[in-house]
Amino acid sequence: MINRILRIGLIFILLILLQVLLFNNIQFSGYVNPYIYIMFILLLPFEIPAWLLLIISFLTGFTIDVISGTPGMHSAATVVAGFVRPIVLRVISPREGYELSPNPSMFIYGFRWFLIYASIIVFIHHTTLFYLEVFRLADFFRTILRVILSTAFSVTFIVLLEYIRKGK
Amino acid sequence: MRNLLNFLAKYNHLIVFIILEGIALYMLGTANNYHNTRIVRGIRSVTSNFEKRVNNTRSYFQLRTISQSLSRENASLRSTIDRISPNAEQLFFSVTDTIRHQHYTYTSAEVVSNSVNRQKNFFTINKGKLQGMSTDMAVISDGCAAGVIVGCSNNYSVAMSLLNIDFKLSARIKSNGYFGSLSWDGKDYRTVILNEIPQHVTFGIGDTIETTGYSAIFPEGITIGTVKHFEKSGGDFYKIEVSVANDFRQLRFVNVIGNLLREEQIGLEKQFQ
Repeated sequence: MINRILRIGLIFILLILLQVLLFNNIQFSGYVNPYIYIMFILLLPFEIPAWLLLIISFLTGFTIDVISGTPGMHSAATVVAGFVRPIVLRVISPREGYELSPNPSMFIYGFRWFLIYASIIVFIHHTTLFYLEVFRLADFFRTILRVILSTAFSVTFIVLLEYIRKGK
Repeated sequence: MRNLLNFLAKYNHLIVFIILEGIALYMLGTANNYHNTRIVRGIRSVTSNFEKRVNNTRSYFQLRTISQSLSRENASLRSTIDRISPNAEQLFFSVTDTIRHQHYTYTSAEVVSNSVNRQKNFFTINKGKLQGMSTDMAVISDGCAAGVIVGCSNNYSVAMSLLNIDFKLSARIKSNGYFGSLSWDGKDYRTVILNEIPQHVTFGIGDTIETTGYSAIFPEGITIGTVKHFEKSGGDFYKIEVSVANDFRQLRFVNVIGNLLREEQIGLEKQFQ
């Protein structure tokens, strides 16, 4: 138990550092801003209670907010992601359920499952985040393009990180 | 209570979600300059439209107060004009000239009771002795003759309306200056009768009838109405029906005109009668 919590804490710190030091500095042509710290929400164990998940989501977003100087923006988006995670898990659950492993993992539940799972949650997170960032509907289609491109990049990086995590 | 607890237990995640999301959005709205500005602007564009409507309505209800203050201002302006230019032909005068006197004073008042359907109509205004009213002051409404004050209490005055069969006023035809005596025949509240205009005088329907100033009550040149109809009434005079300019049913804001030189004029005239 202690081991698992430590493990989760380590993932948290690594993802935050990666996000802040590396991915926050990536910006292809103003349309692509990958946010991979959301992977932390994806990797939390299945049996975590909904309220705890929400609080962890809030704290994650808040940490990013504090570091990148955007109070409330990432918190709001991450809380939304934390809120939809149980719903998404219920909808896309495999036939045999989540018995095989307590953590969502690409290598146990399959690449396809993980891709759908990550895509949906990252897309919801990015939609909330980018619309809160521009905070108007005037540039609706420009923003949706940013959301889609950034989601693609974020999911790609998350899948790569998942490979690295297993390879270690 | 039990149901409430069950409800809370069942939807705890939803409640936590709403609270956390609320905190996040609150931070977003207050801590970020850009978001704050946009929220305020968004809210203001909604409320300003609403406020404009409310304001419109409110100003409609304030029309009464507004017109009162305008009428007060009007009266004070008339007073000022009269003080500055006592008469037009005297173009140059010294400011300290002791011969120059203010001739008329103007005070605004509001009609508090009125009648038009009796033979002897009076109306009451909300200014009295304490506000400087006295008997034999002229009352005009919209610059047109309305009546003469016949009695004052401390805060109210009663004026004899133009529509009173006892009312007599010296009036003239504006275009040629022939004057006669104006009175009411007690029939129609929109019509008064001008008598004693000789038959050789030419005038037409629509000519303006105004006061002469001979009575030392009304200043000269106050409009009374226009000629509606005339006929030869035996003798050598016309009987002219004058449609009055004021609608006496709607008499509301009036100006009271006091003649400061009245005593002097009456006193002098009495010596020769």
